[in-house]
Amino acid sequence: MVNPGTESSAPLRVAGGVFTLSILHLESNNPQQLAQRIAEEYRRHPAAADFHRHAPVVLDLSAIPEEAPLALPEILEVLRAAHWFPVGLRNAAPGHQALAQALHLPVLRGQERNAAPQPETPPPAQTVPANPGGLIIDHPIRGGQRNYARGGDLVCLAAVNAGAEIMADGNIHVYGPLRGRALAGVNGQETARIFCMSLEAELVSVAGLYRTLEPGYPLWGKAAQIYSRDEQLHITALNL
Amino acid sequence: MAKIIVITSGKGGVGKTTTSAAFASGLALRGYRTVVIDFDVGLRNLDLIMGCERRVVYDLINVIQGEAKLQQALIKDKRCENLYVLPTSQTRDKDALTTEGVTAVMDELRKEFDYIVCDSPAGIESGALMALYHADEAIVVTNPEVSSVRDSDRILGILAARSRRAELGEEPVKEHLLLTRYSPKRVEDGEMLSLGDVKELLRTPLLGVIPESEVILQASNQGIPAIHMENSDVAEAYKDVVARFLGEERPLRFIQPVKVGFFKRLFGG
Ligand SMILES: Nc1ncnc2c1ncn2[C@@H]1O[C@H](COP(=O)(O)OP(=O)(O)O)[C@@H](O)[C@H]1O
Ligand SMILES: [Mg+2]
Repeated sequence: MVNPGTESSAPLRVAGGVFTLSILHLESNNPQQLAQRIAEEYRRHPAAADFHRHAPVVLDLSAIPEEAPLALPEILEVLRAAHWFPVGLRNAAPGHQALAQALHLPVLRGQERNAAPQPETPPPAQTVPANPGGLIIDHPIRGGQRNYARGGDLVCLAAVNAGAEIMADGNIHVYGPLRGRALAGVNGQETARIFCMSLEAELVSVAGLYRTLEPGYPLWGKAAQIYSRDEQLHITALNL
Repeated sequence: MAKIIVITSGKGGVGKTTTSAAFASGLALRGYRTVVIDFDVGLRNLDLIMGCERRVVYDLINVIQGEAKLQQALIKDKRCENLYVLPTSQTRDKDALTTEGVTAVMDELRKEFDYIVCDSPAGIESGALMALYHADEAIVVTNPEVSSVRDSDRILGILAARSRRAELGEEPVKEHLLLTRYSPKRVEDGEMLSLGDVKELLRTPLLGVIPESEVILQASNQGIPAIHMENSDVAEAYKDVVARFLGEERPLRFIQPVKVGFFKRLFGG
């Protein structure tokens, strides 16, 4: 104890917390290829660079075969150069886990790695329970505010204003204008969707696929839904 | 029980200090014991607008630092019987405001006054947070332009999350939107957002519209709160604002472009 004279009765404060992290699915073990892919992405969507700047990211290694050599320090270097903050690994083979530990990079538990590596088949979609973590918000969400429905759907009965961010593991429904950022399926739920009465969003995302929007977009100001199919983000009018 | 009202905006130069002076004077004219506090440490504008800058001896910072008593720092307004000004320091920096100090001042003022009006600095940093922390109601001053609306939206979010009421889980701070420097002509020409646009973007109950007017400049140069500028649009508009704040119904005025009359057109104005 630092000060033996006084007796500190308060225990150290350690509490659980839940955070939203981006997950990057590593496509190959080649750092140069990763650097190239990130550069391409930023060129195609300059807003993406901003979006990912200083974002904590978890590397998913399900596509990396067990026996493949992994230049982990170089891969981390590439990510940091792109202003990402790698904070852990998941779905790593035991050998790769050991590499991470040597670099003091946490190995996180996610969907577990298949016993036989089958990088081609996506992990089975989880079924959503009946909105246990759902969130219903009945006041405008202002610029700078962020709301997250963990484990469920987020329903907003008012406007989501520019600069606000709403996130849900499940679906997102917005009954006022959607002007900020909306991210559905943030834990990887690919069947999640966004529904809104007036699409004026800065950014929409489903299960990690995202795109930015501008006024002049054909469905701007219209009722729309956003979903992912075949690794593509689709935006369609809600014609009811 | 005193009510604390913050005049805030996020953005600078939108009319917070002008509004604080006019609004506090208006409440005092209605007979309420009112104090208006300058939270803009380092700039110190309110005493100029109130025309009492020569009488500043002690200020809010002196009180907080224990260098003066509150009574010594309060300046009695020369126009309104019930109005006092608590100026701030021009030489200290913003860190001179402490949470405990501000709370102590507020607690003491609550006992003496009906209304405490807090003139917030611009921005969303500590000074602005101190000004809004104790608020029961907030008047969010907005100009009809996109950047001002954005900043107001942001400050509304902060009010909902960082005020004392939010922290204690009490009834939220009551929000009012005040659109200032409104020029119906420029709205008509498409150079400014319209009242409808701003209401649609912010979705906060409207307390009033103050027109853009040269009278404001005259008033501030003379150190007279705009509400005292007899027969001017701005004085009338601020009186309406005070009336609505006190629960009276007043129709919106000064939101249509002024029609130039036939003779004026013929002979020039
Ligand atoms: N209704 C108005 N019409 C014209 N000018 C105005 C009006 N309201 C404020 N101003 C001017 O705008 C400037 C900023 O006003 P001020 O009240 O000091 O804003 P803030 O306290 O928000 O920084 C001042 O020069 C003031 O005279
Ligand atoms: Mg000011």
